[in-house]
Amino acid sequence: MSAGRRIALALAWLALLALAGAWVGERLQVGGDLRKFMPAPRTPAQKLLIEELGEGPGSRLLLVALSGTDPATLARQSQALRARLAASPLFALAENGGEGPEAIPERLRPYRYLLSDTLDREPFDAAFLRDALQSRVEDLGSPAAALVEPLVASDPTLETLKLAEAWQPPMAPQRMYGVWFDRAGRQALLLAQTRAPGFDPDGQRAALDALQAAFAAVSAGTPARMEATGPGAFSVEVAARTAREAGWIGTVDTLSLVLLLWFAYRSWKAPLLGVLPLASAGLAGLAAVAALFDGVHGITVAFGFTLIGVVQDYPIHLFSHQRAGLAPRDSARALWPTLATGVASTCIAYVTFLVSGVEGLEQLAVFTIAGLASAALATRLLLPPLLDPVPAVDAAESRRLARLWTRIERLPRPRPVPLALFAAAMLAIVAFAPGPTWQGDLSKLAPVPPEAMRRDAQLRAELGAPDVRYVVALQARDVEGALRRAEGLRPVLDALVQRGAIAGYDSAARYLPSAARQRARQAALPDDATLREALARALRDSPFRADAFDAFVADVAAARAAPPLRPCDLAGTPLATAVGGLLLERDGHATALVSLAGLAQPDEVARTVRANGARLLDLKQASESLVVAYRDRVLLALAVAAVLLVATVWIALRSRRRALRVLAPMALAMLLVLALLRGCGVELNLFHLVALILGAGLGLDYALFFEHAGDDRAEQLRTLHAVIVCSLTTLLVFALLALSSIPVLRAIGSTVALGVVANFAFALLLARAAPARPAGRGT
Amino acid sequence: MLAPALATAMPAIASTQARVDAAASAAQAAAMAPDPAWILAHVARPAPSSTPFVELRDSKLLKAPLRISGEYRHPDASTLVREVRAPYAETTTIRAGEATIERLGKPARRVSLSRFPELAGLQQGFGALLAGDVAALQRHYRLASEGRREAWRLVLTPIDAAVARRVRGIVLHGRGAELRCIETEPAGEGGTQRTLLAGAARDATASAPADAAAIAAACGGAGSGGA
Repeated sequence: MSAGRRIALALAWLALLALAGAWVGERLQVGGDLRKFMPAPRTPAQKLLIEELGEGPGSRLLLVALSGTDPATLARQSQALRARLAASPLFALAENGGEGPEAIPERLRPYRYLLSDTLDREPFDAAFLRDALQSRVEDLGSPAAALVEPLVASDPTLETLKLAEAWQPPMAPQRMYGVWFDRAGRQALLLAQTRAPGFDPDGQRAALDALQAAFAAVSAGTPARMEATGPGAFSVEVAARTAREAGWIGTVDTLSLVLLLWFAYRSWKAPLLGVLPLASAGLAGLAAVAALFDGVHGITVAFGFTLIGVVQDYPIHLFSHQRAGLAPRDSARALWPTLATGVASTCIAYVTFLVSGVEGLEQLAVFTIAGLASAALATRLLLPPLLDPVPAVDAAESRRLARLWTRIERLPRPRPVPLALFAAAMLAIVAFAPGPTWQGDLSKLAPVPPEAMRRDAQLRAELGAPDVRYVVALQARDVEGALRRAEGLRPVLDALVQRGAIAGYDSAARYLPSAARQRARQAALPDDATLREALARALRDSPFRADAFDAFVADVAAARAAPPLRPCDLAGTPLATAVGGLLLERDGHATALVSLAGLAQPDEVARTVRANGARLLDLKQASESLVVAYRDRVLLALAVAAVLLVATVWIALRSRRRALRVLAPMALAMLLVLALLRGCGVELNLFHLVALILGAGLGLDYALFFEHAGDDRAEQLRTLHAVIVCSLTTLLVFALLALSSIPVLRAIGSTVALGVVANFAFALLLARAAPARPAGRGT
Repeated sequence: MLAPALATAMPAIASTQARVDAAASAAQAAAMAPDPAWILAHVARPAPSSTPFVELRDSKLLKAPLRISGEYRHPDASTLVREVRAPYAETTTIRAGEATIERLGKPARRVSLSRFPELAGLQQGFGALLAGDVAALQRHYRLASEGRREAWRLVLTPIDAAVARRVRGIVLHGRGAELRCIETEPAGEGGTQRTLLAGAARDATASAPADAAAIAAACGGAGSGGA
């Protein structure tokens, strides 16, 4: 094959990968739903979190503040923004306090007597009506006349206004110019609820973009500013920041990698050919997951691409072992047993993830196994025909390498006893390092800037927005039962508000009474004759005309005859969103949620609601306990994987001594990295764990290749060259990640970078064939 | 329907005393109508100030119009208080686009003026009137004046379409530096709503009971009475 054809084929392969990548990228459903990645829930809080909520009721709320110009202008912009958001399909709800009684749909108006609590306290008798009518006279003479007059004829007791007031958020902020403002009167405040769930970063981003666009449209030409906070805004910001940082790191990495490979092999083809197995592995992994599961989880992609980073080394081994007079095909064949041992043992280890029973881990195993296997096969079968038969450099001819190797050979080979002592010391550090071993707080993984957190806390307090961490849950057999229980809990909650344990709460019972209570109110409504009689007495000596309230009598009659309003009757009204978020129905049972605002004493609230048959759920704790359960599965799988790995390597190498020489450097290196991390007070998380697995895979390969080089000096030099290039490329990539400001990237970067150095050192010290020992059985 | 709001917004500019600037008007012997700038410059009153008022409110629900009397107060530049003393007691405080209505033995109620588009324009006009700011007022109304300095009329025609749909025009009647009456002409059904202020309100109170015709006469007659 001519050089031109080879390069054309390589480019064709790359183009094919790019096409396949674009095709997969378009079809692949990458999800962020934690439910798919987590083990089965066990505690009630976990069950609620995973099976019903997926998140707390507050996690879809965006808190919006407009500032930067005079309050009257801000109020107008707030109204215009609310109108736009209410019309947007991306938002379920937009509130700014500007809703009047017109927010109550016409068809629900007769229901006001069943929804309002007036009848629980007052009978509609002559005395009550007379008092109401006198107030209405005063209303007609007041500046509110324009608001009240259209309602009075049918609603002389103004239940419509009472309901509109009662349906305001539990701790509505002050109103200026008809909309919510902060206490200082400088920021107009809005609440927007996205339709996209909190865990859907794309949906949240689309909603935020729509919010920005709407604000830009309503504030054009004014100096007004908008701020949005809340879980969705944070996740979008954090994701964008992570992507930005990963983006520039990736660019620097790619350029440096190209330069490094060019320098190592004095050929511009090396970077091109070197990327093919890795790219193929990623695609194969994605394809395999797509074929076997519905949709790929975002974490699978992140963890998976980290884990298959090891395949970047495969072509490097092939390049470094090239020499004149040996066809690339034969070179690949000679490397294959070592490469295959590494790949096979790693893949077998990952099989343990397949039987973990957690879909997220199964996906990860499928992705990694498919990726590693396809990269190995690509390196063995597809890459050699594309290589130039005579390499630009033969590593064995490098004098500098030869000198280095001579110096390395002079290094003492550590004896077993000091090594064992070293291992024991490292174990002791890991075991006894102060501080928690595991990072409990998930939010530390991708922290929101403290300034943003402060703003969120401020706005949350101003708006009385619900706590995103705690929620009270009530279980019942059906929706009516759940509503009754929520109704029963209201006095308890009111008492908690009185005592200052919470600042406010929101419950479906605030909007919709149970059917039982509605029937009780219907029974309390006077019949037609009684009402007319009471009204006639109330109208005596009143400035109102005798026939002014015929519409009222008709509405009361309608309310008496109406079937009680159920949650499903609210569809299409603003109430549907409020009630729907707080009243969940699943086959066979219903859950009423009570969201809390300004939760000052969680323990007190937990005790009180438990005494009343409800439960205070800590959603943060629930999701963290799920992560712990997930981590435990990973650790268990890893323990089994370690045993499988040892067995596979032992069988492949057919010698306990050789197996030990290959496995000891990797084990010691990982122990050292763990000790370093723990010694520096780093709290470990899943990303460290995944990075350690990658480190172990790299170390295994280094040791296998050193061991494979045996005592043939030229092979030793080529292996040294390969491992130096491998570790330098990996170190480069991950050291940059370690410098990142984002803890997730830093966790992966620092762990792998340390692992590469430690693996390289231990592999050199322990796995290289000892010249003094004839036992070295290299080929 | 608009009259109450207007009555709430406007009287702050009414003079606290019947401060007929007789010397000035006599000296200038103005035979032609005073221009709006002159009127505004004279009726504008810095806080704090107060004036009595009398107004009639009508509704198709009522047998007869309500006659309400009390006092408007303008305690500081951004606040307006309307205190009803008869036939019942009620205090309304307007500040930052919100009206807080307080009645004896009842919790205070807050109503947003911005629920009604026409009120947005009125609020801006209100600010301009208090300050005697012709340019600001002209952004929301076309101004026209009639009569003499001793008996002038200032006609405000809304420019904003949303306001114009509800209010055909607002006529202020006054004598010299005294704003004596506000007439609001609704665009739709319903008759003219009138609020008597200052000297006119005192006269009406003295000659009670005043019916709709008497109030109209007091309002329209305010100008001629000064001659």
